[in-house]
Amino acid sequence: MSQPITEQALPQTPKEKNVLQRIYTIINQNNQLKIGSILLLFLVLIGVFAPLLALYSPTALGDGLLVPPSAEHWLGTDKLGRDLYSMILYGTRTSLMVGFVSAIISGIIGTIIGAYAGFYGGKVERLLTEINNIFLMMPTFFLILLVAALFGNSLIIVMVIIGLTGWASNARLMRAQALSIRERTFIKSSIAIGEKKSFIIFKHIIPNGIFPIIASTTMNISGAILIESSLSFIGLGDPNIISWGQIVFDGRSYMTSGWWVSTFSGFMIVITVLSFYLIGDGLNKVINPKLK
Amino acid sequence: MANYIQKRIITGILIIVVSIVLNFTLIKLSPGDPIRVLSGQDSPSPQMQAELTAKYGLDQSVFMQFINYVGNLAKGDLGVSILSNQPVLKMIMERIGPTLLLALTTAIIALIIGTALGIYCARYRGSRFDNIVSGSSYIFDSMPNFWLGMMLIMIFSSSLGWLPTSGMVDLRTNYTGFNYYLDVFKHWLLPATTIVLVTVPYYFRIARSSIIQVMSEDFITTLRATGMSESRIFNKYVFKNAILPTITVFGINLAYIVTGVAIVEIVFSWPGMGSFMLDAIHRRDYPLLMGIYLLLSISVAIMMIIVDVIYAYLDPRILYKER
Repeated sequence: MSQPITEQALPQTPKEKNVLQRIYTIINQNNQLKIGSILLLFLVLIGVFAPLLALYSPTALGDGLLVPPSAEHWLGTDKLGRDLYSMILYGTRTSLMVGFVSAIISGIIGTIIGAYAGFYGGKVERLLTEINNIFLMMPTFFLILLVAALFGNSLIIVMVIIGLTGWASNARLMRAQALSIRERTFIKSSIAIGEKKSFIIFKHIIPNGIFPIIASTTMNISGAILIESSLSFIGLGDPNIISWGQIVFDGRSYMTSGWWVSTFSGFMIVITVLSFYLIGDGLNKVINPKLK
Repeated sequence: MANYIQKRIITGILIIVVSIVLNFTLIKLSPGDPIRVLSGQDSPSPQMQAELTAKYGLDQSVFMQFINYVGNLAKGDLGVSILSNQPVLKMIMERIGPTLLLALTTAIIALIIGTALGIYCARYRGSRFDNIVSGSSYIFDSMPNFWLGMMLIMIFSSSLGWLPTSGMVDLRTNYTGFNYYLDVFKHWLLPATTIVLVTVPYYFRIARSSIIQVMSEDFITTLRATGMSESRIFNKYVFKNAILPTITVFGINLAYIVTGVAIVEIVFSWPGMGSFMLDAIHRRDYPLLMGIYLLLSISVAIMMIIVDVIYAYLDPRILYKER
């Protein structure tokens, strides 16, 4: 990928179209994007309208313990008699929040480090690239696990630490973008008229090179959701919130007597991760038609 | 080449240094005092406090503490487990066997299946088979491995009763010879299937896309123009060039093998590092956790150097790109 991927690489749409129409045109060109976006829309709606859709309070303890799916409890109940359908609805919020917050943190850090490395070159670049390489190779899942075990397992700590360890791939992409964009004439003229370096980076380099980062950040959302659910599964999740990983973990003790507990919550993880993978992959193909 | 190797070794050493510093910082930053972390107890006995203070020099400056910590590591002392009061290194060595058995076998199987599928689908791109395999690769890629493992247990152990649910051997029996291996194989089958199913998409996608990429390069077009048969081009030129990325990724994955299978081990109570780690988490055996983390970082760094050097040997173009 030596060519810079900029907005020009995207299919040109007539100028009079508004943003929503442009997004629609982009989504429409690729099946993966289409399926992924529909799934995501569905999940966001579930998350937003959870209080309206839920039949019970997700924390209300009922009388029927481990009741199989029925008309009263669509997806059954768990060991404490809580309604699984309502819990799973609320769990959507947790997963989406973890995914977005951690991916945005790693997106921002990666973009800034990569842009500075690529634009400055020389010693700054060598130093930042070396740090980048280290973070690319570190066994991050175990580091996250260690921090969650030591510092307590609040959701905020989990989100921040996933974000802080996941920026390396973004930085590498942004560095490659910055390296090629800085050779373009408009950047050279900005330097010539004496614009500040950080101004050039934030005003020109980042906006022009951000597209691959958006695609990779979408993929990182999937990764973050999987990491959070794995942490919950080994008992390091936040006990004060409802998370799908935790429901799967709880269901582990009732695999024979209550198959529904783990099955449905895990299925939701699959759907959510899948939707972000599809969107990320689709975006990559739209940006870089060679991949088709 | 020497220059390149040197560079990679420096990066490798830096990874180890950063991991050590991180480990040390985590002990210092974690809530409560370091003695609580190192002893794993909220109120350790005065004698224990004194011992730990002396060993890690906790009454000295932060810098001296760090030197002390590194000194202990250099002697191969990763700390002493709270659970068993044994050296961490020794405990890890005792538990790594089953993990390597599970991890290495599944890595090789996944590599072979994934690459074969990738090559086939790249050659017959757009065929129904390609669409089905590519589509399901997304789904398996999105599956949390612990959930897939549980589903397999529910189907093949709980409902059908074909395979055992957990462990590596049946503890109620005392098999020897062939029967013993058969028993291990039965226990291995479900965790291995889980890991293979979630890893295959990875190799599949890399193999497929690198074959497609090589097929679209100019020299292939030239070969076609010479009238060489499609299968000859494929076997002689495409395959050789396209297989490199898969091998590299395989090498890198080998480094992460222990963390990769840890969660699946937990699901199936496989007696390896995963279950060991879970115990350490639940009993707050921090020295053990940190020891595992350090050892992992070191093995990743070493594997990375080996893989990079082999890769540079196989594909010398990489040396020029680095300059």
